[in-house]
Amino acid sequence: MSQADLSVPFRQRAGSAMKDAFLQEALTIATTKFIGLRREAFGDFPEGEKLRDVAREIKEATLQHLDRYLEQLIDNVERLGGKVHFASTAAEARGVILEIARQAGARMAVKSKSMATEEIHLNEALEQAGITPVETDLGEYIIQLAHERPSHIIAPAIHKTKGQVADLFAKELRRTVAADPEVLTKIARGELREKFLQADLGITGANFAIADTGTIVLVTNEGNGRMVTSLPRVHVAVMGVEKVVPSMTDLMVFLAILAKSATGQKLSVYTTFVQGPRRAGELEGPEELHLVLLDNGRINQLAGPLREALYCLRCGACLNVCPVYRQIGGHAYGHTYPGPIGILLTAMLSGPASVKELAHASSLCGACAEACPVRIDIPRMLIELRREVDETKIAPRTERAVFKAFGRLLTRPVLYRLAARIARLLQRPFVRDGAIRSLPLFFGDWTRTRDLPAVAPRTFHERWKELAREAPP
Amino acid sequence: MTTREEFMARIRAEMGKTRGLFPATPATRPEYPREEAEAIRAQLAERWPEALERFRHEFEKVGGVFHRVPTLTEVPEVVTGIARAREARRLVSWHPSQLGADLGQALAARGLTPLPMPPGEATNPTERARLRQLAASAELGLTGVDLAIAETGTLVLRSGAGRPRSTSLLPAYHIAVFDRTALVESLAQVGVFLELWHADGATEDRGAVISFITGPSRTADIELTLTRGVHGPKEVHVIFVEREIRG
Repeated sequence: MSQADLSVPFRQRAGSAMKDAFLQEALTIATTKFIGLRREAFGDFPEGEKLRDVAREIKEATLQHLDRYLEQLIDNVERLGGKVHFASTAAEARGVILEIARQAGARMAVKSKSMATEEIHLNEALEQAGITPVETDLGEYIIQLAHERPSHIIAPAIHKTKGQVADLFAKELRRTVAADPEVLTKIARGELREKFLQADLGITGANFAIADTGTIVLVTNEGNGRMVTSLPRVHVAVMGVEKVVPSMTDLMVFLAILAKSATGQKLSVYTTFVQGPRRAGELEGPEELHLVLLDNGRINQLAGPLREALYCLRCGACLNVCPVYRQIGGHAYGHTYPGPIGILLTAMLSGPASVKELAHASSLCGACAEACPVRIDIPRMLIELRREVDETKIAPRTERAVFKAFGRLLTRPVLYRLAARIARLLQRPFVRDGAIRSLPLFFGDWTRTRDLPAVAPRTFHERWKELAREAPP
Repeated sequence: MTTREEFMARIRAEMGKTRGLFPATPATRPEYPREEAEAIRAQLAERWPEALERFRHEFEKVGGVFHRVPTLTEVPEVVTGIARAREARRLVSWHPSQLGADLGQALAARGLTPLPMPPGEATNPTERARLRQLAASAELGLTGVDLAIAETGTLVLRSGAGRPRSTSLLPAYHIAVFDRTALVESLAQVGVFLELWHADGATEDRGAVISFITGPSRTADIELTLTRGVHGPKEVHVIFVEREIRG
């Protein structure tokens, strides 16, 4: 499947993803591989568990003094010659970046992978302003050519086969090539190398920013982050306010666990520390550096129910272990951020009403919290979200009535026993081999993909009574 | 347009509504980074062979190629060997003042084409564009190393005058030369050096970028097939020089 259409209900989006045989296979292979790599990386790293606790504490400590660290960051970025901008909304962030691009006279912008720029839908805005955005992360480049959106936080094009990529390159780049990842990568290298050398504007996100030093930190495997921050004349970095960390010492803790959680690497290939624009004596580097600090719903959660989601490092570990993500993939979620953490981030950015259905797209198994490098209690927040969105009543009225009645029964033993006897009679036409295979009317949804156990011929209560008669205490 | 004052006021207003989830403090920073960095150097002066062995192991695991020579004099031979096997000739390099040696003549004598780069910045835009094209046309990039991290097989390079960012980025083959004074054992130790470099910041004549490089450029974005050299170098070599380069 390509693009999620939010006018289609989630249940249907998930359903068509589950019928897509290729997507199913790709998801299984990718997520299983990532899970294994992560497990191996932490297996070889006994201090990892302790570092995860430390990292979690640093995130919480930073939020407790967020104003101080941000002021420090802003002062230091400006001291180094950068300029800091403030964006309360996605629209404001787009406006700020377009203005920078206009003043730079940019006609093309090279981008390294950034969820923050996905979140604010920057590419569409750039295109409308006559500036060509070029995604340079290979996965992002592929999905940009295909006019799609990322399906995984760190592997945006896992839903595409090499054959599909070859067809895409043939169509969009007019290059006939073999469906071989090596060859396809080489083509992309050549295409994008030219763009790096031509572009006036480089746009990145920020994995971290260090308050104490004014450093913007980018983590990539391909080296596009280095290109984008070294070759164009102007560099713009967009980051959510929660990405600030106090010091270099804190940063080292995150670096030690980030790549291990994402891809199982000890470190990603490139960690790039950008401390201001080009300095005197340097041959390369941007003349201008801009940092855009993004709110877009984050600040509201500082004291809100989703505060803990502000710890997120965007590693993607919770996606890989999530039984729901593994079935439906990223697009079915329908928003920028997929997976368990994505539901929370979507609620943060677009309000709880936007996750009315998604809040239930979790089995609450807890695998996400277990995999999260900073141990974000995702299930707790999902339950809270459900409570909040349940007030908006998503289940059909009949189902709600039935469950309400069932709730009453459970609190009245006499009625409950009576109901069990009645159910035994009523279920007769539906029971086969001890299970209910399908129910009529609106109950049908409950048995569409699973069987329900039948009410036992004799209930536990009845058997207990008999036992008590046979062997009195 | 949101101003800094408005933005920060919003943050303070929200922060005022909560005490947070649990009592928390950030990581403990080195109080005297200079002394701690010296202490690490002193330890490494003793145990560098173990650190080097671990570095080699990790560096090779991430796809790096490790070479070892007794002195700087042997470096050109190794570089030429790498170049010949790959039919590469054009080489850009850090400036001799930053590399610790002028290897240009020795490399040229062995059939390579060293492309001259300036010791500092180029103020003329045309000249800058020419130098960029020159760097982009090179197949080999020769650099020094500020730190080599044993735990992860990582090279740490600081940009600056005579240390162009592109030398370790644009050519297909990156070759880095280092000695035991660059070795550190762990990311935690690197943290001490980063704190020290920052404390020294104003006085040091260095560039705006620090790069951690852990193996060749890689991607697995097409069907999770590992492919090297997508944007940066497809091969990274290190040459360990036994005798201290600046000894």
